[in-house]
Amino acid sequence: MAKEESSKETHWEPQIVAFCCRHCAYAAADLAGGLRLAYPPSVKVFELPCTGRLDVLHVLRTFEDGADGVMVAG
Amino acid sequence: MIVAEQKPLAEIKAMLAGYQKVLVVGCGTCVTVCFAGGEKEVGILASALRMATRLDGNGIDLDETTVQRQCEWEYIDPLADRLEDYDALLSLGCGVGVQTLAERFPSKRVLPGLNTSFMGLPTEQGVWEERCQACGNCILDMTGGICPIARCSKQLLNGPCGGSQNGECEINPEIPCAWQLIWERMSALGLLEQLMEVQPPKDWSTSRDGGPRRIIRDDLRLPEDYRDT
Repeated sequence: MAKEESSKETHWEPQIVAFCCRHCAYAAADLAGGLRLAYPPSVKVFELPCTGRLDVLHVLRTFEDGADGVMVAG
Repeated sequence: MIVAEQKPLAEIKAMLAGYQKVLVVGCGTCVTVCFAGGEKEVGILASALRMATRLDGNGIDLDETTVQRQCEWEYIDPLADRLEDYDALLSLGCGVGVQTLAERFPSKRVLPGLNTSFMGLPTEQGVWEERCQACGNCILDMTGGICPIARCSKQLLNGPCGGSQNGECEINPEIPCAWQLIWERMSALGLLEQLMEVQPPKDWSTSRDGGPRRIIRDDLRLPEDYRDT
């Protein structure tokens, strides 16, 4: 158990929330899925109608809720 | 408008030390339009404080609310029913808002999250400048609509001092000399002659020098029996 925990610590992966524009980055992620290309499960994709919709409060709340990093793609 | 700036996060955090449940109260008027204490800033500050205090190991439970105007009883009275649960209120109103809350809810600790700076206007996006010092005896008719009390570093009444250089104030080259501006404006209006009239020393008793000020309008007051405060 202790070994497992320490191995978890060694392999800690940051949880990333990716805010993606539906017209480019989100479509690209969709295409990646269609092509069966894998990306780490630690990345959570969040679709926005446009990254212009992103607000500083969205980013702050994401961190508050436990994300280690935020990616904005658009 | 009243222009204010948010206090540094560390200062606010230190003020809140020891409180467990805090209500952050924004104001929907002046401090909203100067981006210091409106609904959005309340959300950002509360979020930042939640994270900062959690990282310090003493996470404070912060709720958020914004009233339309913190400086009038009728707008803050509806808060009364919600206050029982809170140890303190963090006001993002101007100094008037903080005091209005403290006066209305005397059993609650009310803390200021902003530094109230001045009365002014946004001269461009993201830039605010002082325009009025509420001296209580307006002389803008004599100075072409440019106030030497608020805009001259020395509050001179009869022209510029020797520190006026190329239209700039010696205090800071980014501050235009108010008397240069006045001269230019009066010149353009063809009213330079008016500036030749020597102004006597100003009577400051209508300003802060006369102590806290009060205006009573009997034509607007309710009859004594109907007053609630």
